[in-house]
Amino acid sequence: MNLFKISIANLREKKLNSFLSALLLTLGIGMISLLLLLNKQLDEQFKRNLKGIDMVVGAKGSPLQVILSSIYQIDAPTGNIPLAEVNALRKNPFVKTVIPLSMGDNYQGFRILGTTPKYVEHFNAKLAEGHLYNASMEVTIGSKVARNSKLKVGDQFSGSHGLDSEGEKHEDKKYKVTGIFQPSGTVIDQLIVTRLSSVWDIHEHSDEKKVPMAAEVAHSENQKHVDPEPDEEGKDVTSALIQFRNPMGLMTIPRQINENTSMQAALPSIEINRLFSLLGVGIETLRTLALIIISIAGVSVFISLYNSLKDRKYEMALMLSMGATRTRLFLMLLIEGLSLAVIGFFAGIVASRVGLWVFSKSAEQDFHYSLGKFALLPEEIYLFFGALAIGVVAAALPSLGIYRLNISRTLAEE
Amino acid sequence: MISSNQLRFSYSAQKKFSFPDIHCNDKETLLILGQSGKGKTTLLHLLALLLTPESGDIVIAGKSVRNLTPQEITTTRAQNIGIIYQRPHFVSSLSVMDNILLSNYLADRKEDRQKARHLAEQLGFADHLSKKTNQLSQGEQQRVSIARSLMNNPNIILADEPTSNLDDDNCQRVIGLLKKQSAQIGASLVVVTHDQRLKDEFSNQVFL
Repeated sequence: MNLFKISIANLREKKLNSFLSALLLTLGIGMISLLLLLNKQLDEQFKRNLKGIDMVVGAKGSPLQVILSSIYQIDAPTGNIPLAEVNALRKNPFVKTVIPLSMGDNYQGFRILGTTPKYVEHFNAKLAEGHLYNASMEVTIGSKVARNSKLKVGDQFSGSHGLDSEGEKHEDKKYKVTGIFQPSGTVIDQLIVTRLSSVWDIHEHSDEKKVPMAAEVAHSENQKHVDPEPDEEGKDVTSALIQFRNPMGLMTIPRQINENTSMQAALPSIEINRLFSLLGVGIETLRTLALIIISIAGVSVFISLYNSLKDRKYEMALMLSMGATRTRLFLMLLIEGLSLAVIGFFAGIVASRVGLWVFSKSAEQDFHYSLGKFALLPEEIYLFFGALAIGVVAAALPSLGIYRLNISRTLAEE
Repeated sequence: MISSNQLRFSYSAQKKFSFPDIHCNDKETLLILGQSGKGKTTLLHLLALLLTPESGDIVIAGKSVRNLTPQEITTTRAQNIGIIYQRPHFVSSLSVMDNILLSNYLADRKEDRQKARHLAEQLGFADHLSKKTNQLSQGEQQRVSIARSLMNNPNIILADEPTSNLDDDNCQRVIGLLKKQSAQIGASLVVVTHDQRLKDEFSNQVFL
């Protein structure tokens, strides 16, 4: 026999009340924990892909869209820009690297991205199998693409036009897989990377179909290009990722581009902050809601203990008359509140993981992003102590009555 | 052994009680009879150290309790006095067995399951040990509370109207068991009641 056993027996005696209190705590804790997880992982995902990219140039339109489509590969591109203008940026002394991107096709929903070897270098992607593409129509695929599409080195496939898998197929030209990247946790995992020229080649002959596409290819003489950083007159690309040599570039180049060219410059740091502040309103609302639910859980623990204490007054007097000290009974009641808090916390943590898993499933389906980190966050330790504090306060307030209980009167009353 | 000397208690200026002295040696029994409103429960609570008298003294197992601290009073009660209440009350969430063991636990003694089982057999509710107390009949509940009061081998057993809610059969059985058990452990048995059926059961009687 110990206090803990009596407390648990008391909780079990009032199953529904205990369940309601624990459920409310679970909901509140689960929501906050899920928000923490999502926030952290989205933040990490966004930061990781953003690293080292100072500016993105693309066709005029929404700068956020340019960023989302070019860095994260989740939104549709704004249009095309002339490769010549992109390459002209290389001459600017502030510019360190220019990585042109060309997209417009997909395979089973995974984007086929035409780019230069710098892109692969930038993300530090290592090969798991095979070798890097080096001719037109050769591709190297990300780890997630390989896993989901079951493509292997040496396989051939034809891409579909557009960015969703229902697009028209380019049956006449087939891509060949030459390598598979190791998982890197970056956007490259979900991409099929190829030469810029592949994207041009594949659309050469489909031009007569007059299908509008993101990476519209201008007419030009079609040759095999061995030059890794091609500079074709009249060719278009979708966008380009720019790295500056020093922060001075940030001061002058974006304005120059926006004023003097047909392109627009989008700064990832600004756009992502804007995106997060837009999301932030929603997150803030959810967080407030979660806090309200947790407070209600506290009130529920309070009411449930208060009521059960009224019913158990005689029991308390009885135990006091049998030698229990008031502090011991007070502790017993605290343990009841604490147990509910602990149960609520762990159930909430489990619930948030389940929520994350569900969310991750749908995010993977829609955006090919996965959020698969289920480890306990440091913030959740604080959340644990917060839950305990709520349990203690909610249990202590009604339980203080134990110190005022008149044993003789209570026992004589019945 | 328990004795009292010139006990007085008042709830208010109008409601004053002064009680006759009582004395009950080890292995003896004492019946305190009185009608409602005579202060039977008040006297029992005074003897059980649940109330502090206005004046007068109580001697428990040879020791006066006059100058004890609340903590010492609690300990003295837990170690020396077994109380049986008019309506048997239990910790409803615990089983019969745990309710009996509770008196060991709360008096900081080792839990004696064997003794609990032995008492249950003697008192005739051994089959109900794992049940909840509210599944038992009134007579059974009263027998459980007798077992509970005996767990710490108390020096004194105080019973407040132990038979008033019981029919004649159960009344005889309960009082018989009380007398037998308290004699077995050599305790003083003090019964406070208005139940006239008990008149012939006790030789020592005090009237309020």
